Amino acid sequence: MSRMYDSMEPKVIDDDMLKLAVMEQGPQEEAGQLAKQEGILFKDVLSLQLDFQNILRIDNLWQFENLQKLQLNNNIIERIEGLENLTHLIWLDLSFNNIETIEGLDTLVNLEDLSLFNNRISRIDSLDTLVKLQVLSLGNNQISNLMNLVYLRKFKCLRTLSLSGNPITEAEEYKMFIHAYLPDLVYLDFRCIDEQVKELAKIKHQFSIDELKHRENVMELRAEEEKAKKDMLEEHKLAFIEYLNGSFLFDSMYADDTEGNKLSYLPGVNELLEVYKDKFVIICLNIFEYGLKQQEKRKIELDTFNECMLEAIHENQEQGKFKIAKFEEKHMLNLSAIREETDLPTIEKKIVECSEDINELFNVLMTLEMQLVEQLEETINIFERNIIDLVGTFIENVQGLMAQCRDLENHHHEKLLEISINTLEKILKGELDEDLPDSVRALFVDKDTIVNAVGASHDIHLLKIDNREDELVTGINTWCTHLVDKIHRDEITRNRKRVKEINQYTDHMQSELDNLEFGDIID
Amino acid sequence: MEVLKEKVEEEEAAEREEAAERAERAKTEKMMRPGEPRKDENFMTQEMLRDLEKKVSEIVIPSVEEPVILTQDLIDTSNLPPSYKSNSTKEEHLLQVADNYSHQYSHLCPDRVPLFLYPLNECDVPKFVSTTIRPTLMPYPELYNWDTCAQFVSDFLTMVLLPDPLKPPSHLYSSTTVLRYQKGNSFDFSMLLCSMLIGAGYDAYCVNGYGSQDLCHMDLSREVCPLTMKPKEIIKSEEKQPPKKYAIKPPRDLNSKFEQDQELKKQLQLKAEEEKRRREEEEKLVEEEKEKPDPLHGLRVHCWVLVLSGKREVPESFFIDPLTGRSYPTQDDHFLGIESLWNHRNYWINMQDCWNCCKDLIFDLGDPVKWEYMLPGPEKHRLALSEEDDETLNDEDDVEDLGKEDEEKSFDMPSSWVMQIQISPEAFETRCPNGKKVIQYKKAQVEKWAPYLNNNGLMCRLTTYQDLECTKVLEIKEWYQNREDMLELKHMNKTTGLCIDYFKSGHPQALRVHSYKSMQPEMDRVMEFYESARVDGLIKREETPKTMTEYYTGRPDFLSYRHINFGPRVKKPTQCTADSNPRPIVKITECFHRNPAKSADEDVAERVFLINEERIQLRYHRREDHITTSKREFLRRTEVDSKGNKVIMTPDMCISFEVEPMEHTKKLLYQYETMMQLKAAEKVSRHQAWESELEVLEILKLREEEDEDHTLTISIYDTKRNEKSREYREAMERVLHEEHLRQVETQLDYLAPFLAQLPPGEKLTRWQAIRLKDECLSDFKQRLIDKANLIQARFEKETQELQKKQQWYQENQVTLTPEDEDLYLSYCSQAMFRIRILEQRLNRHKELAPLKYLALEEKLYKDPRLMDLVKVYA
Repeated sequence: MSRMYDSMEPKVIDDDMLKLAVMEQGPQEEAGQLAKQEGILFKDVLSLQLDFQNILRIDNLWQFENLQKLQLNNNIIERIEGLENLTHLIWLDLSFNNIETIEGLDTLVNLEDLSLFNNRISRIDSLDTLVKLQVLSLGNNQISNLMNLVYLRKFKCLRTLSLSGNPITEAEEYKMFIHAYLPDLVYLDFRCIDEQVKELAKIKHQFSIDELKHRENVMELRAEEEKAKKDMLEEHKLAFIEYLNGSFLFDSMYADDTEGNKLSYLPGVNELLEVYKDKFVIICLNIFEYGLKQQEKRKIELDTFNECMLEAIHENQEQGKFKIAKFEEKHMLNLSAIREETDLPTIEKKIVECSEDINELFNVLMTLEMQLVEQLEETINIFERNIIDLVGTFIENVQGLMAQCRDLENHHHEKLLEISINTLEKILKGELDEDLPDSVRALFVDKDTIVNAVGASHDIHLLKIDNREDELVTGINTWCTHLVDKIHRDEITRNRKRVKEINQYTDHMQSELDNLEFGDIID
Repeated sequence: MEVLKEKVEEEEAAEREEAAERAERAKTEKMMRPGEPRKDENFMTQEMLRDLEKKVSEIVIPSVEEPVILTQDLIDTSNLPPSYKSNSTKEEHLLQVADNYSHQYSHLCPDRVPLFLYPLNECDVPKFVSTTIRPTLMPYPELYNWDTCAQFVSDFLTMVLLPDPLKPPSHLYSSTTVLRYQKGNSFDFSMLLCSMLIGAGYDAYCVNGYGSQDLCHMDLSREVCPLTMKPKEIIKSEEKQPPKKYAIKPPRDLNSKFEQDQELKKQLQLKAEEEKRRREEEEKLVEEEKEKPDPLHGLRVHCWVLVLSGKREVPESFFIDPLTGRSYPTQDDHFLGIESLWNHRNYWINMQDCWNCCKDLIFDLGDPVKWEYMLPGPEKHRLALSEEDDETLNDEDDVEDLGKEDEEKSFDMPSSWVMQIQISPEAFETRCPNGKKVIQYKKAQVEKWAPYLNNNGLMCRLTTYQDLECTKVLEIKEWYQNREDMLELKHMNKTTGLCIDYFKSGHPQALRVHSYKSMQPEMDRVMEFYESARVDGLIKREETPKTMTEYYTGRPDFLSYRHINFGPRVKKPTQCTADSNPRPIVKITECFHRNPAKSADEDVAERVFLINEERIQLRYHRREDHITTSKREFLRRTEVDSKGNKVIMTPDMCISFEVEPMEHTKKLLYQYETMMQLKAAEKVSRHQAWESELEVLEILKLREEEDEDHTLTISIYDTKRNEKSREYREAMERVLHEEHLRQVETQLDYLAPFLAQLPPGEKLTRWQAIRLKDECLSDFKQRLIDKANLIQARFEKETQELQKKQQWYQENQVTLTPEDEDLYLSYCSQAMFRIRILEQRLNRHKELAPLKYLALEEKLYKDPRLMDLVKVYA
């Protein structure tokens, strides 16, 4: 830093500075005059240059929503901040500043060209979201770790990189290392990379690169697998039968059930449990399959409905378009006739005719729209009925299956009670041969205790089943109401929009006609 | 033969029983000459027959005076091989068999005409018809399929009518002769085509039968020209989808059903009337076109080719008329009856009744009841049995057959006496005799030429006429080939005057179709282009006197259409041509495709520059869910305000309607910038329009030039026509020849005569070698000296004579006549010339002699026989 910034007061980015910069860099000559007349809104500015201003802190830039190019070079900025809103930024120049770490760039996902030349950066990171990055300038910094460059492999679009003037460039294999690890690079340190050298480098570092690639592949695969799993679950959730394709529900029944687990130590209970579990899982699977099928059915229903709606709307649109085209053709002719006409009464007559035409168009379009609204309303109602029916049958059937589950549980409960009482009797008689853990033995004090324990286990199980069922039923019911609501809402918005459009159009036509009238009277 | 014999026996048996005999007679009666009208059969008396004959002879006379007849005296038989001039013993035997066969046949079927079995050939030798077929596979891939092959035969030969239209010809020439003279009757045509088809692997037969007049006279004037036939349009029946579950219900129809019905009825009635009228007209037309009844119907002898299904994936048997090369189904009306048919292996007589033309004939040659064969050939035509039960029976028969075959295998058809069919590549390319052929169709005429015959590349011309008499030309289509400007087809409509040129890809201006009425610029015309070959993606340019419309595709600026309106040309005082004084442009309309990268409100769909009104209209693309589009209109008039300052931009200079009003577009700055861009765009568009006009002029000029000089391209593989490649080839040959000569020279052995003096087989000693070398050299030296002396002597002699003559002249100069003087002078000049040449030769010899000597010495040093010996010594 040869510049003596002590002698100059650090400046703050304020409104005046920004306005000045915008005016200076904005349109020139005739357009400039216009711009001066109207003033330029900050959000219309696409490029801004704030260099050599002795700025210490980036601030006040949030208004420049659409900024694409920002130059803040040759200042004394120490931190990257206040750029979060400039999401359209493509080009950012922060060279010749005092920045120490890369930060605050996460929202600038469109950035293609980033210059951090001549700063005090020692580590490359925090650039993960900048997937479109093509040019990265990091020369004259303090990057010293060669392995840090492997981080740049992430950026598939990166073609130009400059790192000259960093400590790492002194390392002997610096260039070879970069050629090998960043094979898509075209320019390094302002020079085009020779293909041959690239090949050489590749051979030299082949082993480590292969290893790296392998690791990357494994990571990728894992991520994919995870994603697939997630998708699957998402799909099941849509069908409201998540975690029913296995013993999850059964397991969850016994997860919070201490008594049940204790009782499983009793002789004969294990076998009983096995059988119970098998049967239970089969029913769960049934529910699962049925759920998927129903989901498919609902989807087809919805798709057909959407398709038909779209078709109807499209057809209506075509009609409207045709009507408008016909009207415009006629209108144009009328207007030009009026323009050429000199006789005042005739003009007035024609203008009246024209406005009648406009009115008629309005009526026609509105009739079309009303017709469509009626038709759609009817269709939506049919669909609503159908989908509610579908959901109803689904719920009914699932409830039936769930009742089977409950029966199983009741059955199991009875058996378990029987075994427990038998065991209690044996224990009381002292005939029990097997060893039972103390905690289990503690249950067999008297009949009430054991019956209570078994009952508690049974209650927990039933509660779980009920919960699952409730979850499913509420889920699908909410979905259904949401869907129907959304369809109604969408239809209303569509209608409003169209009516607004028609009104706007006819108003415009009418005002155009009025203007013409006005102009003619002036003439 | 077997079957015939059996039949004879049968008949003898039948003779004993009268009833049977009657039945037999009925049978033979049924076998009357086919095709003849049946009702006459019973009432035909001698007188009537005589009458008919008389009539026939009367009618035949005019057709005899056809000019082209290949008579026998015209044929040069001297170069033909002996097989043409005599019969081998086997052939003699065959003729005896045939004779026997024919006798039996005439005995059994006395009512039928004699068989066409062994006509005379060009050397007046009787030859059996089957041996005249010479199966040959032609070396031209084009002749591998039956359709092209038949077309070739019909193009290649000129048709000559039969000497007697009611009888098969007395002579049947070999294909060699027919091909040499490129003339022949239907029998010659059929034999040639049959030979080629059998050679190409088809199951083909020559058929001797009866044809309609049109067929026999190769008269296609009642046939629709195949070139005028349009390919049938495939009507795509749109599948009507069942209405979807949620399809909206249509709004209620409030129109009266009754009125609609009435309207419909009325229309139907009208339509029916029109239909009726049209049908009547059609009938009238058909009536007109109908041929005059032919008095010789069913009697005209014709020969054609039958191709049976089976081989070469032919799905169904069909006829080929060799004169026209067209194929017909076996049920066709033109073929009125079959007497017999043959291929290179056998001969069959048709035993079926032909009262219904050939429609009921069954071509199962293995069936001896339907087809009487002459030779029990080695490959038997199997009788097609319909019932499965017969299979076992058939197997037994097979065993018997095998035995029989062994017995009778003693005789089969001798190989053909004709030489292999040969057609030179030149003749093949020229195709038609003299390279030109004209065919008359119904309301159409086709002319064909060989490639490169016309210097403008014309290959085929189809003239379509309005009437049957071919007087009013409707349209002309001309096909071209090998043209440098890639012109493929020229279509001229004479009634509208419209010309359409079609080009193959490769025209310098990427022209595809050019339709025009006149070659003058600024007239109605349409040009279509190969858009992929053009940088600007132009597909089509339409012009009328006042407008020009261009269609584009695949452009990066999404331009799809540009329409230019021109105003009347401003008269300038100076004389101006079209390109220096372009017509003023009144209006330019440009349409653009949707640019997916832009939002609909910013993507211009239509741009209109009203140049005279100084207005620019913009229409944007429609948004997906809207029915209206944004519009903007700019007045680009520059105005001056009250203070005299130029007004840059005022709100009323831009009227805009926006579907979704946006803030930034309301700004004057935005409007100003848009207008500036539009001004620039207008300039570009005007320039484009001007360039398009220039291009049209250029293309027209180019077309005119091309039409005038019409150079033809010659493929680099065409060694005969390609001048360059021929020169190159000849140069190569010359070089090869010279190389060969040089090799011969290098092999010349100077030492041979000297080595011959030495005893053979002994190794040379050093002394001998040196002596050999010296001798050789001295010999050569002597030769050189001799030669020099010879030249010298001649030179001296010539000089002396000249001196003598001069002396004589000086002495007698006074008394000489002018003629003598002339003689003397001419002698002098000649002598001087000779002397000078001799002098030159002498000088040259003196110069070259030492060099030649040294060269020989060098060569001898290097000679392997002397080398080591001489070298050491040297």
